[in-house]
Amino acid sequence: MTNHQHGLSDSLKKAIQYLKTYDGPPVRIMEVCGTHTHEIFRQGIRQILSPKITLISGPGCPVCVTPGGYIDRAVALAEDCGATVCTFGDLMRVPGTDKSLSQARADGADVRIVYAPEDAEKIAVENPDRSVVFLAVGFETTTPSACLAVDHAIADGADNFSILTANKTMPAAYEAMKDSTDIFLYPGHVHAITGMADCRKMEKEGVSGVVAGFTAGELISALTIAVKKFEAGETFCVNAYPRVVTETGSLEAQKLVKKVMEPCDAWWRGIGKIANSGMKLRETFSDYDAAVRFDLPETIGKDNPGCRCGDVLQGNCRPVDCPLFGKVCTPEHPTGACMVSSEGTCSAYYLYGGVK
Amino acid sequence: MTEKLPNQITLAHGAGGKQTSALIHEIFAKYFDNPFLTADDAAVLPRPGRKIAMSTDGFVVSPAFFPGGNIGELSICGTVNDLTCMGAKPLYLTCAFIIEEGLETAKLDQIAKAMAETAQKVGVVLVAGDTKVVGKGQADQVFITTTGVGELLSGVQLAGAEAKPGDAVLVTGDVGRHGCAVLLARDTYGIDAHVTSDCAPLWHPVSAALEAAPDIHVIRDATRGGVGTVLYEIAHQSHVGIRLNAEDIPVDPAVAGVCGMLGLEPLYLACEGRMVMIMPQERANRVIDAMSAYPDTQGVCQIGVITEDNPERVVMETAIGAQTFLPEPGTELLPRIC
Repeated sequence: MTNHQHGLSDSLKKAIQYLKTYDGPPVRIMEVCGTHTHEIFRQGIRQILSPKITLISGPGCPVCVTPGGYIDRAVALAEDCGATVCTFGDLMRVPGTDKSLSQARADGADVRIVYAPEDAEKIAVENPDRSVVFLAVGFETTTPSACLAVDHAIADGADNFSILTANKTMPAAYEAMKDSTDIFLYPGHVHAITGMADCRKMEKEGVSGVVAGFTAGELISALTIAVKKFEAGETFCVNAYPRVVTETGSLEAQKLVKKVMEPCDAWWRGIGKIANSGMKLRETFSDYDAAVRFDLPETIGKDNPGCRCGDVLQGNCRPVDCPLFGKVCTPEHPTGACMVSSEGTCSAYYLYGGVK
Repeated sequence: MTEKLPNQITLAHGAGGKQTSALIHEIFAKYFDNPFLTADDAAVLPRPGRKIAMSTDGFVVSPAFFPGGNIGELSICGTVNDLTCMGAKPLYLTCAFIIEEGLETAKLDQIAKAMAETAQKVGVVLVAGDTKVVGKGQADQVFITTTGVGELLSGVQLAGAEAKPGDAVLVTGDVGRHGCAVLLARDTYGIDAHVTSDCAPLWHPVSAALEAAPDIHVIRDATRGGVGTVLYEIAHQSHVGIRLNAEDIPVDPAVAGVCGMLGLEPLYLACEGRMVMIMPQERANRVIDAMSAYPDTQGVCQIGVITEDNPERVVMETAIGAQTFLPEPGTELLPRIC
């Protein structure tokens, strides 16, 4: 009936003690995944770490790294092209140059929150006279479901369905961020899909990392492995989430994505263009590409000049160092994307941090 | 089911004529019958001996039927529990129905039956009512408003501003079950989990607690916004901090699983049969003993303490011994759950 777990296991207690009292060379560990960031704050894991261990929150929240220009295009789809725009709820309040999707909806546009891309495809099937666009953002974990929705639309003859892609891939981000950290805490869910190959490749390049799960115990244990191996001076790649992550990953998902999409250059908010870090629909599926169908121009969008989301995403500053943090920029009235998303670093700082 | 009523409620059932009286007679009078409920314009009631408490609440839950209850049961529990929080014994209730044209008569019958059974469980009577029928799309099946009058127990002084540093914080059972059951009943998420609502009227267990410990400081029912919202309200009203031990917060494993998948915090999911109770620490065991004898509150337990530190904030002591804030109730679009 309850989640009572009074008393931690002895091994977990030992691990906590190790991380608390670690006195080796200073070490920076970057968690690349927004869900990790959120869980690390929710569990208060930073508080138990020795001052020699620094956690950096990387660019792993798909909403946070989606550029303002993407929101502008989505708003244009809903307002100027008269499309029904379907999106994950997190994107609703991300500020665009002029307005957010939430504001567009208030102004009368047809913007709907869905929980899976397939729900958007269903809406298209049920409303053959409407153009229905799904906003495909996300990493390797969500890209397969967007591909599946396209696959279903073809099978259902739903040619009024399309997706606006801003899908991103992790390996390019690892490459771009590898100088900002000593160790990566790799996202377990991403590697459940892609397998361990990308992490092994980083190891060969001399970049260390541990694939981690998402509970307090899994995070503590991954951090302990990372710091111990770092202290021993090794370059390493460890799968600390073997109950979910296998060496090969999900071959079925990989095959589906390969069939429907191909790599492309992509814009990351605050970081800029990273070569081959995005995914777009293959030419043969371009009928389902909203950017092609509606001939949408590429726009970069304008961010609030005071907002330091870009630096936060790269671990160059803490949210509390941003002049807007907690003053003009709050979860209720977000200025930057890192405050909008529940997985954003600024939001996690704001919601959980500062206990006296 | 009656022969005199058609299978569906129509606008004519709200027009005040013959069909209205058939509806009243065949459903409401059948279940709610008592000496105070008459065909006259108002109920005439004996005056209670002590001060009275009065409360009103509207119920619009969607869907109207969910695992563990329906809107009828909810409409009685909600107002009964509001009175209960003030230490007032529920005596009389009124109810007003707004029915969407086309509602199945059998459903209305089930709703009224659940109301009567729940009221009887508490010993409260329905003394007046009203029925309106609106056009298709102007309501969602049925909306119910109930208003209740209760008589205050002597010697109790309950208010949100009464929490004191050092007090114990209790919940009367596992949290977030109603909100989770309603979310799942909507079938939006395609999640297959068995969760039933905690919907229950709590006068009997709470009055037993007040008898055992009349100096309880605060009692609040954790409905919309859940236990987390109630705790923040109390922290603000009493200008105190609240420290919770994450491992002591009772959560049904199925609810915890659903919350994990959807990224929800169980403390912010609605309950409809759970109280947050705050009292001097030395009274906590007495209250737990008194309440755990009742089925609806057998899971009563202490989840935290009131502190001077971190005023107006709720702090979580996490599983690994760190302290984080429970995020303040946010602006998420929460579904209609009550």
